[in-house]
Amino acid sequence: MKGALGSRGLRSRIVVGSAVGALLVSVVLVTTTWLLARSYLLDQREASLVRQAFADANVLGSRLATVGTEVGDVVAELTPSNGADVVVRSGDAWYSSSLDVGARYVPADLRSIVGEGSAGTVRLDTPEGPALLVGVPISSAGVDYYELAPLTELQQVLRTLAVVLGAGALAATAAGAAFGGWASRRALQPLEQVAGAATRIAGGELTTRLPPTEDPDLLAIVAGFNSMVDALAARIERDARFVGDVSHELRSPLTGVVTSVEVLAARRAELSPRADQALSLVEGELARFRQMLDDLLALARLDGAPPSDSGVPVSMTALVREVLAAGGWDGELLHADPDDATTVSGDKNALERAVRNLLDNAGRHAGGPTAVHVQRRDGAVLVSVDDGGPGVPVEDRERVFERFARGPRAARRSLPGAGLGLAIVAETASRHGGAAWCSAAPGGGARFSLSVPGCAR
Amino acid sequence: MTGVAPRLLVVEDDDPIRTALRWALEDEGYDVGEAASGEEALAAVGVTPPDLMVVDLMLGSMDGFTVIREVRREHDLPIIVVSARADTDDIVAALEAGADDYVTKPFQVKEITARLRALRRRATSGTPATHPVPEEVVLDSTLPALVLREAAGTVHRGGEQVPLTLTEFRLLCELASAPGRVFSRQVLLERVWEHGFFGDERIVDVHIRRLRTKVERDPGAPRVVVTVRGLGYRLDQR
Repeated sequence: MKGALGSRGLRSRIVVGSAVGALLVSVVLVTTTWLLARSYLLDQREASLVRQAFADANVLGSRLATVGTEVGDVVAELTPSNGADVVVRSGDAWYSSSLDVGARYVPADLRSIVGEGSAGTVRLDTPEGPALLVGVPISSAGVDYYELAPLTELQQVLRTLAVVLGAGALAATAAGAAFGGWASRRALQPLEQVAGAATRIAGGELTTRLPPTEDPDLLAIVAGFNSMVDALAARIERDARFVGDVSHELRSPLTGVVTSVEVLAARRAELSPRADQALSLVEGELARFRQMLDDLLALARLDGAPPSDSGVPVSMTALVREVLAAGGWDGELLHADPDDATTVSGDKNALERAVRNLLDNAGRHAGGPTAVHVQRRDGAVLVSVDDGGPGVPVEDRERVFERFARGPRAARRSLPGAGLGLAIVAETASRHGGAAWCSAAPGGGARFSLSVPGCAR
Repeated sequence: MTGVAPRLLVVEDDDPIRTALRWALEDEGYDVGEAASGEEALAAVGVTPPDLMVVDLMLGSMDGFTVIREVRREHDLPIIVVSARADTDDIVAALEAGADDYVTKPFQVKEITARLRALRRRATSGTPATHPVPEEVVLDSTLPALVLREAAGTVHRGGEQVPLTLTEFRLLCELASAPGRVFSRQVLLERVWEHGFFGDERIVDVHIRRLRTKVERDPGAPRVVVTVRGLGYRLDQR
């Protein structure tokens, strides 16, 4: 039982439970009602038939009192009401008002009871249906009077009653199930609210809270849930702020270092060859450090900002063209739909960084992009960057978008990049309601794609 | 950079940064003065106004906004702001206080010198517009009339000169070069500030706002420098 019900939902268990409960209660009530009604009706009917039999026996007795009357004639004249039949025993002779009915209907024990001078009744099943046989001794005439009254009418009434009661039981069961459904919906409503709120929170809406309630049964749940979300939001915010704060704190000293190194670089000629090499090394590392800090700040900004709906219109074709030019890439790589067909609504700087990161990624891991496409497809604007590198194995295609994930060749320390570039792409895409993914380029390399919902045209 | 080296005042309370910045800017041919606080900066400007200023927003007791506001009372020289954050309202506040442009830390000196050069070009040449402009343009003929004289570098309302900063003046000249034509923020950024495609368009918006407070009769309902929604700005001659 538990196995069968345990696998079902709470709601269906409540529905089944209350239906079964209603069924049991109504079966008990219906059965009791039916039994009581049946015995009461039978008793009533029997009593009235017995009264009738006595009255008829009286009539017979007074007729027989007249001298010279034949029992058979009197019986033939008798017309008992209610379609009853009459059987009379006089000595060893039996007389009957109907050809179908005779002595064979009168059981031996009733005969003996009546023979001893008492009245008695017995219930019989005749071919026409149930019937009641009443025996009355008429001692004045020395005969026994039996009256056989059909009970079919009563049986009809009882059958109708049974049908009505059964239908009532079924209705009660259905009502029980309906009530269970309603009650379980009511009972589960708060849980559904909690589930909905949890889903929204998981989706990043950390401001979601359960509405305050007056219900004392729900107070604890609502308060507990809301304080849990408060704590979670505070913690997430603290973590994000910490990364942002650390990055900001690092900017000032980095500014001093960058500027000083530039002063040094302006005096390269005065440096010994070894010092010059060391300076080059510092410059390279500094560029990497700057990049990393920049990426961290960009991510902190993306993490901290709510999904932006205050975007400005940006043409992705124009943007990609500019990023290619700014990065010194070949503008011929671009295969794009017209500027006004690829307009999206978004944060221009974030989109620029995402596209730049895709190009830098191709440059870092695959010797540069081999083709850049900007297309409008099914209402979205798709930017894809193909490279001629070794491609990305299928099992790594999601992992490369994780923070600090490194490409297959990135284990080599000499490669720049902190592994945040593609994470920024993915985060930017999701902030704009789009997606970023990696697939195989037609030429064999990797294809990194960024899709952002386009503006209505 | 011909002739006398332009005089530049660096206002920065972080000693290593200020020192390194002075060295680097001297390498670029500027005559660099230093101020470690807002008070020091105002004192230095009071003695001999520099040609250009680089101001860090995070200073000690007197912050960068106050310094800029104070300097702007008297001087129209180009001011570049240095900020640790590009995404905060600090930038907009600094621009509203009167700064012309900004760079974010960690910057490379060439970013600052590029900005300085763009601002300086306008400050010295006087006629930097890409289109030839008549000697006198009447912007608003309702008396007292608003008149722009680009060659002279002045805007007058009636007999009185309207005090514009060099950047505001340059922006007005750009718009006045084709009255009735819509200039996108992008175009204005490129022509006036020499920023590329990814320049911050807030710079344009704030400067337009500042310009309106000076040339419009009712800055809340501008009729000379008009916003064209979704496209940019336009100058209407009246």
